Amino acid sequence: MSGPAGEQRIDHDLVWVVEDSAEDAEAIARALRRTHPGLALDFTDRGTGFVERLLGAARRPGLVLLDLKLPGPSGADVLRSIRSRPELDGVAVVAFTSSTGPDEVDTTYAAGADSYIYKPVNFELFRAVLKGAVDYWQRKAKSGDEGPGAQPPS
Amino acid sequence: MEQHEGRASRQADDGWWSGRLHELWHVAETAQDVTGLADSLYDMLLRMPGVLAVVGTRWSGGLLHYLRRVTVAEPTASLVEIERDYGESGAAGAPDGDPTVTVHEVSELDGTMPHVQVLVAAGTRSLAECAVPLGQGGWASFMVGTADRDTIDVTLRTRLQQVAEVAMVSDRRITARRADEVRQVSDAFLAEASLQMDSSLDVKSTVQRVARTAVPAIAEGCVLHLCLPEGLKSVSFAHMDAGDQQWLGKVAAEDTWLTEALRQVLGSGQALALNGEGLRGGPFGPASSGAGRAVRAISVNPLKARGRVLGTLTFLYHRVIVAEGASQFLAGLADRAALAIDSSTLYEQRRRHVVSLQRHLLPRELPRIPGITLSSAYEVGDVSLDVGGDFYDAVPGAQGGVTLLLGDVCGRGAEAAALTGLARHTLRTLIEDGSTPEHALERLNQALVREDTSRFVTALVAVLVPDGEGFRVRYWSAGHPAPLMRRADGTVEELVAHGDLLGVLEDIEYGSGSVRMAPGDALVMFTDGVTEAKAADGTYFESRLRDEVTRTGAGEAQGFAERLAEAVVEFRATGADDIAVLVARAESTG
Repeated sequence: MSGPAGEQRIDHDLVWVVEDSAEDAEAIARALRRTHPGLALDFTDRGTGFVERLLGAARRPGLVLLDLKLPGPSGADVLRSIRSRPELDGVAVVAFTSSTGPDEVDTTYAAGADSYIYKPVNFELFRAVLKGAVDYWQRKAKSGDEGPGAQPPS
Repeated sequence: MEQHEGRASRQADDGWWSGRLHELWHVAETAQDVTGLADSLYDMLLRMPGVLAVVGTRWSGGLLHYLRRVTVAEPTASLVEIERDYGESGAAGAPDGDPTVTVHEVSELDGTMPHVQVLVAAGTRSLAECAVPLGQGGWASFMVGTADRDTIDVTLRTRLQQVAEVAMVSDRRITARRADEVRQVSDAFLAEASLQMDSSLDVKSTVQRVARTAVPAIAEGCVLHLCLPEGLKSVSFAHMDAGDQQWLGKVAAEDTWLTEALRQVLGSGQALALNGEGLRGGPFGPASSGAGRAVRAISVNPLKARGRVLGTLTFLYHRVIVAEGASQFLAGLADRAALAIDSSTLYEQRRRHVVSLQRHLLPRELPRIPGITLSSAYEVGDVSLDVGGDFYDAVPGAQGGVTLLLGDVCGRGAEAAALTGLARHTLRTLIEDGSTPEHALERLNQALVREDTSRFVTALVAVLVPDGEGFRVRYWSAGHPAPLMRRADGTVEELVAHGDLLGVLEDIEYGSGSVRMAPGDALVMFTDGVTEAKAADGTYFESRLRDEVTRTGAGEAQGFAERLAEAVVEFRATGADDIAVLVARAESTG
């Protein structure tokens, strides 16, 4: 979901994370600092007011990592409210939970998530999964900017 | 233009060069991938006097993955993805041992090669080239292009070789580190996947877990096919990108090129990895259209368990170069997945056999009896992989009415199933031949005692004879739970009858009784799986049986038994035991 670059002040090196567990938030920060030292991270533990913050932000994140199991408005609620605002189309939303129920994947995709990732218990694996997701959406945003075919080599 | 003014003064300055080279080594030490390194490297070479273009190419044998270029006109490094196999002529450029610098005229080179085209477009006539070997048959080449051959002096050649060596060392370090990471992640993935897969005995959910756990830890897309009786079928697929999920499902289900590749793997039992030209003609790779364009490589592994190939596990990669050790890891993963699928398939097959065998022990359909609506239900216990011993049947009476049979052989398994068959057929045959229920039960008892089995049988026989507007019911019980009479107004009466179990003693006594069944009344017979069904809180269904009979009997006569059985299934926390229910309701007149 890479929108027209610049127009919506989207910063593809900025990632917002919605995660209520302090432990998981810490793991995400630790993982991404290692794999993507250039990323700026912003953490919040509630879905309340998240869309308003996104709309009001001077720089919008290229990527939102959204825990589906949140107190208050659920991850799915937050997801639906993001997708109800066309001006946020350029923000890719990666939803994650620790369960892998096939139904949940379908409903999450239907609600407008760009990716659904499963949150593994093992930290190394968690890091690999996060890296895969961030790389994918950064690469996609970049190829949208530079025309098809461009990608960083491995 | 500030940059160009500086070039002449900087180029000759050895101090400037060694400073930059030192920096480059430092970047090489810490680089996570070659991109950061490349920016400095290309910039340094472009600043050398007379250099019009710097081009780098990345190869695996004759397959050109991509090129990176800077020119005086476009000094910001850009990357062009190629993924094209140039065969022998491409591979001819591969380094032969240590990096050495060669000098050529551009006009001598193959003008169809993309890097040559870049050099020509930048107006270069001569070039110096340094090719370096990388891991796994990979290699890279760095080229600087100038307007004339004289510009390519010793300094330029030396410096080209120096930066090429930095790139080579850095690439090796990155590759080694990545291989190490892949090993760690692979181990963790296998452990996690095993956990995920073992938590389910249901094949569908098992394969979905396999696919979903692998994306994006392993690849951007994953598809799982199984060899089913109707052929090779796509049973699960997962894509990193919600937008490509449907596309992947369609390709997995319908694409003939992919099917051909999968058949090849099924036939040989050997894994397959395809990239570059290998993807030609299929739905993937730069030459394809749509979502498949982003796919750079695929791997297909056979799923093998107990010497059989169950299906295939396919991964789609958007990145070209898969780390060393990936093939063993994929094979390990495929084996693990195959094992999980095999266990859940075995479980399901066995359960299907149990259910079908059980059906054979029951009447295919109940007879139509004037004035009576019969309904029956049979639920196999959920966790059970053995045939249970509940049975029922209905034998039409010669002068109207019907004789109902219902019983339970204790225990499960082949022996119980054999006795169940014996019990049902003995009772049915004797009653069809006109024996009285007492006599039929007596004969069954003798047969069971003769079998010398340690199992006992409980049974209930009810004879319904037309009587005025309703029926007269006479019943005999051999140690079976008492049936219930649900009156048309919803009240429930227990038809108490004791009696000995069958198959234990030579001489037995039955409990019997008789009751009138008016229009709208229903006789409800069941096995102890109903009364002994236990909820999570420890209560038994027996405690609410009467209420449920009142409730479930309120609707259509057809389906009464099914509704009652359903109530039991909903109530029970674990369904260890089978349930049989047989209901006869006298039709309301008028």
